Amino acid sequence: MKHPFISSGLSVLLMSIPITAIAAPMGFKNSWMFMGDFSKTYQELSLNYATTANDAFGFSANAMQTDNSVAKQQNLEAVYTRKLARWNFPEAQANIWFIGGLGSTTGNTFNGSKAMASPGIQVDYETTRFYSMASARVYAAQGATSNITTARLGASFYEVDYDQAQPWLVIEAKRMTFVSNQYEFTPMLRVIHNRYFIEVGANLSGQPRLTFMYNY
Amino acid sequence: MKRINLMVVIAFMSLSQSALASMKVTVNGMVCSFCAQGIEKSILKMDETKAVFVDLKNKVVVIEAKDGKTLNEKLISQEIKDSGYDVVKIESISQTVAQFRSQAKDKK
Repeated sequence: MKHPFISSGLSVLLMSIPITAIAAPMGFKNSWMFMGDFSKTYQELSLNYATTANDAFGFSANAMQTDNSVAKQQNLEAVYTRKLARWNFPEAQANIWFIGGLGSTTGNTFNGSKAMASPGIQVDYETTRFYSMASARVYAAQGATSNITTARLGASFYEVDYDQAQPWLVIEAKRMTFVSNQYEFTPMLRVIHNRYFIEVGANLSGQPRLTFMYNY
Repeated sequence: MKRINLMVVIAFMSLSQSALASMKVTVNGMVCSFCAQGIEKSILKMDETKAVFVDLKNKVVVIEAKDGKTLNEKLISQEIKDSGYDVVKIESISQTVAQFRSQAKDKK
């Protein structure tokens, strides 16, 4: 269900962009990060390798479609992720990330394949009990440009030890202009356990949503 | 006499080294196990590491050395930094990882 959103302030803040709307979009130095995001209107699989504490290189394949499945677009890209800034506090962490892709796009609203660039930014702030994130990413191709903006708020039910699974309730507001100019709201249950991260939920229309991250 | 003194000093040094075989590192920014696992993984890879305990609630990492090995403070500090965190303080402690973990659980 697409709800008219309070968008002015948030939209200005977020600018524009689609993103793997999860926690950190890359792992620690010399680690692999495997990510997925699946819903009716958006599906993505991506993989990256962190060559330093701040840089990761990888690939992403994603597909978007409208609610009625009439318009469809697929993107294939090489993606560079850069941790632009991190602030570590005794009880919290804040980050600014750059995510940029170069690749090609195909779709049923235009002929052939087009070159595509997809710059984006993500900011986040989290503690052991609270999580917030905003991101924006543009998928720019001649005559086929769209963007995704996302905001998330989450709270964990309780604190856990390092080796215990931690459940969270997360609410996401997401707008994909390829699908609609309205924001879509999705409450999700998130579970984090060491190198595994999974979110399951459904938007207000009942469309299921699954995201995951695996860091190794 | 000098030889005896030297032996006593050497024995004392080796005793204190084994008594302080662990390091307790206070770390800023550790907010979840998904993020902090990089610390555990990278420090466990170090040859001198016997065990690692990440205490998310108290924001400390405890590293225990293998018998006869000495932990490298600079290397540990760099590994934690490469995992994306800031080291606030490093202390040598007499507890093993198992003892520290047990004490941490008792405090709850």
